[in-house]
Amino acid sequence: MKVVAAALLCLITGIIVGYLVGSRFGVVPSAEYERIRTEYTSLKAAYDKLSSDYSNVLAELNVLKKPLKVGFIYVGPILDYGWTRAHDDARRYLEQIFPWIETIPVERVLEADCPRVIDRLITEEKCDVVFTTSFGFMDATYEAGEKYPDKIFFHCSGYRRRANVGTYFAEFYQLYYLNGLIAGALTKTNKIGYVAAYPIPEVVRHINAFALGVKEVNPDARVDVRWLFAWYDPSKAREAAEALIAWGADVLAFTEDSPTVVEVCEEYTTKRGKPVYSFAHYSPMLRFGENSCVSGQLVRWEVIYADILSKIRSGYYTSKNLENVDYWWMLREGAVELGADYGVPINPKFIPILKGKYMDHPEFGRISIYDLVMKRLEQMSEDTVIFDPFTGPIYDNKGSLKVKPGRRMTHDELWTIDWFVDNIIAEVPR
Amino acid sequence: MKVKMIHGLKIERREEPGLPARILLKVLAVILSFLFSAILFAISGIDPWYAYTLIFVRSFTYSGLAEITTKLIPILLCTVGLIVAFKAGIWNIGAEGQLLLGAVGATWIALFVDVYDPLRLPLALLVGMIFGASWALIPIILKVRLNVNEIVSTLMMNYVASGIVDYLVYGPWKGAREWGFPYTDKFPDTVWLPLIPGTRIHWPTLIFGVFSSIMVYMLFSKTVLGFEMKVCGQGRKIADYLGMPYGSRLMIAMVISGGLVGLAGVGEVCGVHRRLRYASSISSGYGYTAIIGAWLSGLNPLGSIPSAFLLAFLLTGRDIIQVSLGLPFATSNIFNGCILLSMLVVEALGRYRVRWGRWTI
Repeated sequence: MKVVAAALLCLITGIIVGYLVGSRFGVVPSAEYERIRTEYTSLKAAYDKLSSDYSNVLAELNVLKKPLKVGFIYVGPILDYGWTRAHDDARRYLEQIFPWIETIPVERVLEADCPRVIDRLITEEKCDVVFTTSFGFMDATYEAGEKYPDKIFFHCSGYRRRANVGTYFAEFYQLYYLNGLIAGALTKTNKIGYVAAYPIPEVVRHINAFALGVKEVNPDARVDVRWLFAWYDPSKAREAAEALIAWGADVLAFTEDSPTVVEVCEEYTTKRGKPVYSFAHYSPMLRFGENSCVSGQLVRWEVIYADILSKIRSGYYTSKNLENVDYWWMLREGAVELGADYGVPINPKFIPILKGKYMDHPEFGRISIYDLVMKRLEQMSEDTVIFDPFTGPIYDNKGSLKVKPGRRMTHDELWTIDWFVDNIIAEVPR
Repeated sequence: MKVKMIHGLKIERREEPGLPARILLKVLAVILSFLFSAILFAISGIDPWYAYTLIFVRSFTYSGLAEITTKLIPILLCTVGLIVAFKAGIWNIGAEGQLLLGAVGATWIALFVDVYDPLRLPLALLVGMIFGASWALIPIILKVRLNVNEIVSTLMMNYVASGIVDYLVYGPWKGAREWGFPYTDKFPDTVWLPLIPGTRIHWPTLIFGVFSSIMVYMLFSKTVLGFEMKVCGQGRKIADYLGMPYGSRLMIAMVISGGLVGLAGVGEVCGVHRRLRYASSISSGYGYTAIIGAWLSGLNPLGSIPSAFLLAFLLTGRDIIQVSLGLPFATSNIFNGCILLSMLVVEALGRYRVRWGRWTI
């Protein structure tokens, strides 16, 4: 009996203690459970959000993996050694540095054919961006902008813009001015020639800048011009260069898309014993005139193209906001470079000659021509561009004052310039 | 009849092949040249079959055909014009210049003459034709009166014409709103030729082109005038012997020729450019292309339509080769050259038989 009673007592005590202990601790695990549960829910939500973010990012990455298709329309042959070649060099460079672009070049496109080529690039090859690189393509580019409002167009050298059509240009006049300084110092006959493509504002501006440089160093020298009425015509260029040399010119600058003028000058310098100096135009031409090509104007279109394309890729430029996008880039932006070859501002053979020639300069005092060129180059490359060749007083060759002393010509004046400065003895055909 | 014999090589004239045989020959020529160009594509690393499918599929879409038709218009008008001259025995190489003068005439009416607006377009068409015809009249008068060779004079006058256009666009006609660039101002829309919507086809000129090819066909097959032109084309002595007015018949032929070509020029400025530009961009060599067109058609005015179509196809197909196949311009030029050359060679083989020993073609 005793054993049964003890067992019962133990059982009852056990139940009571069990109940007490159980009721004491039973609440705590359930609170803990709630805490863990809420934590789990919030973690799960965060995980869901992350995973959906992740798939969004994946989708975005896939969009980015789709290359940006870019069409380039050229007016000339790619191997012209001038304008078209320079654009195409930039295009090939961009393909190397931007893995996300794919380009399609089309060469020798006639102005009347431009709309069709744009159509083909957009509808058949699904291009996102089209660059048209000749003035004559302006209307066609603008109209294509109206026709394909969600595509982006950039037209080189024009002025008609809209929400999805921008314009760009690498301008040379500062370099022509620097070449003019050198030409003025090198001439012995005081006769300087210019072989010019077409009498349009761009070329007239460059001839004027060149002549202003000549005048700064050598006020007695005169500049004469021969017109080719062609962008690319080696045989006419040779004829014009020889005519200018026969007139007495011993320094020639030019605007034509072949190294012909440089070759003619090299021939006179090395084979005919009559030194005639020249300047590379557009592409490096030092190897065509090692003894005669002094300096020149080189373009770096890739600087402009890289800026435009990276801004399109990052979404900064869209088909809605190009109304006022106009690149007019020069030395400051690095879109152009002084030199007979890249990295060779002045042919080393001419550096001692230019360092040995001194002049009394109103701004710098007694200075060597080499230092003057470098000083001006530096001034125009600075952010503030503290010097501009087209600063008054400037007279035209009819004797009237065109720019008042101290005033700089504006962009629009330079765009439409149709007169020659006073040391040019030719006329602008009209 | 034996014509020539060199090292046992004999070239004989065949009996004139019939129309089906001639068409068959042309098809053969196209196939031959495609086979040759296939080698070219293969060398450039492109599957020829893929290349041809692409060229044909992209050429014969709606917009592709519209572009071919746009190009066909000036080539057709120039071709028909040249056929008239060639049939009359005049070697008119001056279509390029006559086209430019037509463009100049239209521009003059469009921008510088004060007329009642609805009359402006018809007048531009008329004056363009008159300008083209007068430009063609100068060399033919020189030929008839002074025996000046028209091949040289018409060719040289092309350069004068392009000089005139350049003088005008750089000088007195330079547009006031064009920032000093060599363009006239845009024409007022009263002289725009109407287009088929969604395309660049200026259809009135197209209709005129087709119509003129039929009219010229009638002229030579049904009228005395056409017959006299053909006879006078054989030479002054024959004309004199038969009592035909040699000079006047040649002049009429050349006026028709220059007028049609001038109309092509009007079509280009009023339908495509809507302004005068410098010479090389107005015409892009249609005047010379049309010489090939005339010979491809075998001097048959009705044949000028398919041959102008072929030339327009080749000229527009050129950018497919560049844009879609990524080949340079030169390749597309070789492709076009192959087709034209084999057409002309096969044309000659259709008329002559070549024998060399036992071998005969």
